[in-house]
Amino acid sequence: MSLLAFFQWCEQSGIGDTIRKSAWLFPLIEAIHLLGLGLIGGAVLVVDLRLLGLGLRRYSVAQLARDAQPWMIGSLLLMIATGGLLFLSEAIKCYYHGAFWFKMASLFLAIVFTFTLQRKVIKADGAGVSPRWSKVVALVSVALWSGVGIGGRWIGFS
Amino acid sequence: MIQGRPAGLLIVLVLGLCFLLTAPRAAPAYIAQKPNELARQVHLISSDATGEKWTRFTHLSKAAPLAASLLQDENPAAAPQGSLLAFFQRMADSSWSTGLHESRYAYDLIESVHVWALCLFFGLAVMFDFRLLNWTMRSVPVSEVARRLLPWTVVGFVIMVISGALLFSAIPLRSYQNIFFRAKMIMLLLAGVNVWIFHSGVYRRVATWDVKTAPPKAARVAGALSIVLWVCIVLSGRMIAYNWFDCDRQPQRPIINFLTSCVPTASEH
Repeated sequence: MSLLAFFQWCEQSGIGDTIRKSAWLFPLIEAIHLLGLGLIGGAVLVVDLRLLGLGLRRYSVAQLARDAQPWMIGSLLLMIATGGLLFLSEAIKCYYHGAFWFKMASLFLAIVFTFTLQRKVIKADGAGVSPRWSKVVALVSVALWSGVGIGGRWIGFS
Repeated sequence: MIQGRPAGLLIVLVLGLCFLLTAPRAAPAYIAQKPNELARQVHLISSDATGEKWTRFTHLSKAAPLAASLLQDENPAAAPQGSLLAFFQRMADSSWSTGLHESRYAYDLIESVHVWALCLFFGLAVMFDFRLLNWTMRSVPVSEVARRLLPWTVVGFVIMVISGALLFSAIPLRSYQNIFFRAKMIMLLLAGVNVWIFHSGVYRRVATWDVKTAPPKAARVAGALSIVLWVCIVLSGRMIAYNWFDCDRQPQRPIINFLTSCVPTASEH
């Protein structure tokens, strides 16, 4: 099965069809998707601002990351679930839309970066990590997640 | 939640917006007497229920000279002089407004900035509200979270207001009569009042409940209210793009026409 065939299969799925035929399902799911974006933005920024030496700088990075983690993972799951539904309803459009691929690439990199390199830096909690390196990690994280959000918004523009 | 002087700024801004919406007694109604002329700007918007207005705009921009000339032909006298409606009509007819909504990338870029700043503002404001509800960062004093994070929400809010005003100026007439836009402005006012009540009330005694204890009920209520209001503001903001209740889609229920200040012509009943 080629990739395009798979996308066509998604588009023709019962779920995608139901969403397409409803006047309000797509807007509703999209709005929840947007709320998830706002929430993940907050959870990511609490940690990234701290890594940048801004925000809650008197408190340990590791502690803040532990506090923010459930919200970050929770909203990520919410976004993947709602995003999947949105995708099913317009898979073919996504296939031909550059913004969709940009977003997926950013999302992949953001997830990998967050759960590998960034997690390592956070766990070290300043020990053996230069402040400059922490800042670079935070900026990369913000850039990748911004790519996900803006790429996603751009899928809606034709 | 925003503290101190920025809170005042927020309230002034929101009050100003709400004043713009509610003040005019002279002519609140949109009189679509000549739908072919007056409502033309609304007609630029896709009537596809799930499609976004942008789809049609982009399509139209290819015929921009035509669209621009049509807009200039509109009859400004149709809206009562001195009314808000006439004001937004003139705004819609301005080259700034038509230029913005017909541009290939400017509108998209501003919209993206608006969404990006939403993460900064809404995300951090909600994290602060979660702290008030004792759901996160329990080891960090509330006052510390307020001092370190709320300035960032102010930055986010300012970007939201500026980009939002630009988006409004691109489509002023339709936005003004959009039910979700009106709901959003009212809820912004309520959110501002909530911020003011919190900071002038229970937050003044923050030293007594800063850490090691659950915030008092008043603080938890403020946090919960803030979350509910901002969630509804984001939802209604997203819904402004859909034209289910637009003036040019008649017949609508009388309550909808009342809330959007629409007066359909006889032929539209």
